[in-house]
Amino acid sequence: MKVAEFMSSPVYTVSSERGVQFVSDMMNELKIGSLVVTDHGSIVGIITSRDIRSSHPNRIAADAMTPNPISISPDRFAWDALEVMEQHCIERLLVTHEEQAIGIVTRVALQGKLNQIVDPLTGLYRAPYIQHIGEHFLNRHQHFRLLFIDLNNFGEINKFHGHPVGDDFLVEFSNRLRTITNEQDYVCRYAGDEFIVITCRNENDAMQLEAALSQPVVIQNVTLSASVGIINGYLVPDFFSLSFRELISRASLLSTSLKQKSFA
Amino acid sequence: MQDKLNYFRKATLSLKISEFEVPPMQDLLIIGKKAPIGPEAVKRMAQALSPEQFTIVKLDHAKIEAVLIRNSILQMLDERLLMQIIMEEADRLISDNMVLRSELKISVSVQREVELS
Repeated sequence: MKVAEFMSSPVYTVSSERGVQFVSDMMNELKIGSLVVTDHGSIVGIITSRDIRSSHPNRIAADAMTPNPISISPDRFAWDALEVMEQHCIERLLVTHEEQAIGIVTRVALQGKLNQIVDPLTGLYRAPYIQHIGEHFLNRHQHFRLLFIDLNNFGEINKFHGHPVGDDFLVEFSNRLRTITNEQDYVCRYAGDEFIVITCRNENDAMQLEAALSQPVVIQNVTLSASVGIINGYLVPDFFSLSFRELISRASLLSTSLKQKSFA
Repeated sequence: MQDKLNYFRKATLSLKISEFEVPPMQDLLIIGKKAPIGPEAVKRMAQALSPEQFTIVKLDHAKIEAVLIRNSILQMLDERLLMQIIMEEADRLISDNMVLRSELKISVSVQREVELS
């Protein structure tokens, strides 16, 4: 799920002084939708078929391109690349390594692949996403907290109000998760009424998040609470020798035991 | 056969020679957003023909993309004031696919009063 897996390479370049017609012919010949524009060997822009369509054919590439192209490292996650493209309203990202362009990723290619791991009901990523994030941090020996959130009495809600209402609750709860999390958090709908948040926040902020998640919420006049099993990477001995699967198991068991206590 | 005997081709050449002014642009070039030549190409052309004598000013305007202007004019007048005047005047003439050439002369008139000793 890294950018390197989705990028197209090699990167084809064109000099900034070349005419738009030349660029267009080159793209047709190579059957590609964009070219990197260089000036004396340095990257100065990116020119796409859209740029060509909106430019006079007599112009040079320097006057038709999008200057200062935004780039991303091949080691970043695909969803990070997608977010960057959405932030800047662009369709392509240059992939660079040590200031050299090594590939291009397109929003269409990423979106198509990432849609496969997005939960269609809530719009949150599904389990494979959090698996990648967790394993990535473990491999890099980066501490984190794993919060396993299990909605209480969700079966009862389905039973008394019907499954469509239950779905509404899941959507509302997911929106709440989006609201209270930030760029240091990674959220997924793990299964049915279970969610996982991985957070890299500092101690205080993480505790605030944990407190917010433990607070019951009222949705459509029904109080919805959750049992949150927390694995704090800083407190677990040999944290980095554990598998991510093991961490999820521990957190889910903690959540189950909290649930049992609250109903005892 | 008869047709072939009467067949001939000729060319007439007409040659007009005049001096190429360097630089060919005067004081200003106003570049439309969809003009055949863009600001970067104009900048390179100006730099090649008259090094360090012109500056490109990019504008946020519906029809005008940029203005190439002689540096000496910018030294005499505030850039913002100048651009405002250019935009107001050019807006009535230009379409986004045109490049306008303009001559701009500034004359300063000064009148001072001094105390006589």
